[in-house]
Amino acid sequence: MERVKTGIPGLDEMLWGGLLPQTANLVEGAPGTGKTTLGMQFIYHGIVACDEPGLVLTFEEFPHQYYSDANSFGWDFCQMEREDKLRVVMTSPEVSMADLEQVGGRIESMVQEIGAKRILVDSLSHFERLSKDPAHLRSIVYGFVNALKREGLTAILTRESVALLGEGGGTDDALAFLVDSYVLLRYVEIESTIHKALLVLKMRGSNHDKGIREYEITPRGIEVRAPFEGREGIMSGSPRQMADSFVQAFVRR
Amino acid sequence: MEEMDLDLTGRLMADMDPKLLEFLQTKVNSFVKWDLVRFFHDNPHTTDTAKNIARYAGRSVETIQAELAELARDGVLEENQLGEMTVYSLAPDRHTRELLARFVRASDDRQFRVKAIYHIIRGTRR
Repeated sequence: MERVKTGIPGLDEMLWGGLLPQTANLVEGAPGTGKTTLGMQFIYHGIVACDEPGLVLTFEEFPHQYYSDANSFGWDFCQMEREDKLRVVMTSPEVSMADLEQVGGRIESMVQEIGAKRILVDSLSHFERLSKDPAHLRSIVYGFVNALKREGLTAILTRESVALLGEGGGTDDALAFLVDSYVLLRYVEIESTIHKALLVLKMRGSNHDKGIREYEITPRGIEVRAPFEGREGIMSGSPRQMADSFVQAFVRR
Repeated sequence: MEEMDLDLTGRLMADMDPKLLEFLQTKVNSFVKWDLVRFFHDNPHTTDTAKNIARYAGRSVETIQAELAELARDGVLEENQLGEMTVYSLAPDRHTRELLARFVRASDDRQFRVKAIYHIIRGTRR
């Protein structure tokens, strides 16, 4: 099956080759875990390696922040905009939603103008202010996600997680049912040092690596490394040595 | 004597690109509009409501609502209905965009800024 490669070393292997085309893919994590970096790397790789122009839809950060952040990894987003391979659009969820509902709206026109195949939506959390009713919110996001797919886009949607360590899903996990894949980024404390862990929780229509892997944000972008070995409870944020917990389990009895 | 000083100042301050002077006197004739055109120059793909633009610009919606409408009337911005929302975006006209880009580039120069501030203050006193 055709795959949309993220270009992130290690992640494409976890996704069995990459994301599926025209799918909505949620990346959730606490501040600083690299959600936006992951999304920008996906956009950058699409442009330079796959000839797939991209859009960045931002609901909070100004475009110059993306140019600057991308530049720190050596990704020249300004030049890509000049070459009509990228558009960084600052807007709001309500306006982008209404725009996508129209025939020939601005986002649709932009997709056609540059032939966009990929989109980063940063972040889905901002939709939460559109409705307090989870069912209504789910319906809004459902429409939005379907509009992106209709435009032929493969999307990475970021979502903020409040908790720095351990369990900290969004306020409405119903959104997780709407997406095709769900990647969790977590901080993990091991021997008084904070590490970063990545888990592909779900991938509709494909198998995927179920392991929890360490990743780093390097000067070249995100690199996913080897699985955490000999430890359990990684996603709790405070993993234990497996032997310790094994002993503890028996000692307690 | 005071009148002569003012006249001299006026002439000194008018010493700028005539097109930019006209742009300043007829379109960007307030500090809020200056902020707004700079915002749209930096974010040329933005389409949004006055409420959201106010948030991005760090102003109140009451402060910018009328200024947005005037910029739209003067052809710098476009005003459109999107469902029940009134949204603003940068006018697609190439000439206006080029003029705006020249204005923003010129604004990086301190001397130009001093002159521009002079004209805006004079304009608001009229």
